[in-house]
Amino acid sequence: MSENLEQSFVQQLKSNQNIIHKICRLYTYGEDAHKDLFQEITIQLWKAFPKFRGDSKFSTWAYRVALNTAITLYRKSTRTIKTVDYEQQQFFISQDDYNYEEEDRLKLMYQAVYQLNDIEKALIFMYLEDKDYAEISETLGISEVNARVKMNRIKGKLKKILNP
Amino acid sequence: MIMKELDLLKKDWQKNNTFEQVSEVDIYKMLHTKSSSIVKWIFIISVLEILLWSSISVFFNTDDYLKNTKYEELNVYFEALTVLNYAVILVFIYLFYKNYVSISTTVSTKQLMKDILKTRKTVQYYVWYNLGMVVLSLLIGFFMAFNYNPEIAVLMDKIGHNTKVMFITILLFTLIIGAFLGIFWLFYRLLYGILLRKLYANYRELKKIDL
Repeated sequence: MSENLEQSFVQQLKSNQNIIHKICRLYTYGEDAHKDLFQEITIQLWKAFPKFRGDSKFSTWAYRVALNTAITLYRKSTRTIKTVDYEQQQFFISQDDYNYEEEDRLKLMYQAVYQLNDIEKALIFMYLEDKDYAEISETLGISEVNARVKMNRIKGKLKKILNP
Repeated sequence: MIMKELDLLKKDWQKNNTFEQVSEVDIYKMLHTKSSSIVKWIFIISVLEILLWSSISVFFNTDDYLKNTKYEELNVYFEALTVLNYAVILVFIYLFYKNYVSISTTVSTKQLMKDILKTRKTVQYYVWYNLGMVVLSLLIGFFMAFNYNPEIAVLMDKIGHNTKVMFITILLFTLIIGAFLGIFWLFYRLLYGILLRKLYANYRELKKIDL
């Protein structure tokens, strides 16, 4: 029985692992930290798995546990590094329709996002993942109206970072 | 203009999924590794704190001391105090356990942070309770010694006539107790400061959004 549970978990995690990779990409610097956070999220997901009843999608459920782990439980500080070596990150701009001008703009955008704090990153992350405000508010535990207000502020902050 | 940039970022974000994939075997391995989350550390440190303080209050017993004095009728009060102390320990252990179990990564970020801080608060109160008991025991001890111990009574007689010595003695006791509390306060600030700095910062940030 518990082996079945483990097997089902491993399979679902394997096919949904990009969610975790994306969060690691946003919250860590460098390959080692990425792997470290990935492992911690996996452990936390496995610990919470018996409570996952399947009334929501595995991916929806995994978002929350992964974000909570990155923001709340993960011990290694992500704040100390202020300037990020962009090339070190796993941002490989997609190869098709290669466009230098666009690539430069994207680089700047990614760098700007990196300067946000943990909570702001979480909001941006869910925005990039096309989550609606109801889900953002539920995931973070803030009101929907305030989530919207905060998102607008973050947009303003990004704009300021891009055009100081 | 920022919307255009965000749209560009979103497009790339959703398309850009070239992560090195983790295999099933590796995931199995991860399931059997140990977590290093702050909750685990808070749990370990909390259990150690409870063990330490419980053992101190169990072993620091005034019974023997009392038996040596001739005022055994005071024993009843001290036994009542000991029983009360055990009850308080049990209540704290129960509260700590209840809080710890309620920590779940599937609730909202804010709730998770609240639950963690609550667990930590319970243990903090327990430590303060014990420190209070230690100070109280010391005070009662001094009082008893001065009032009931014949040897000290002789000493008291001598000191009593010299207000300067009396004053210095009291000052010294106060300083010792103060230093004792100060060291503990500093120790806890350091211990939990390191562990919880990030969590506190993020919690404040989240709370600010809903102000």
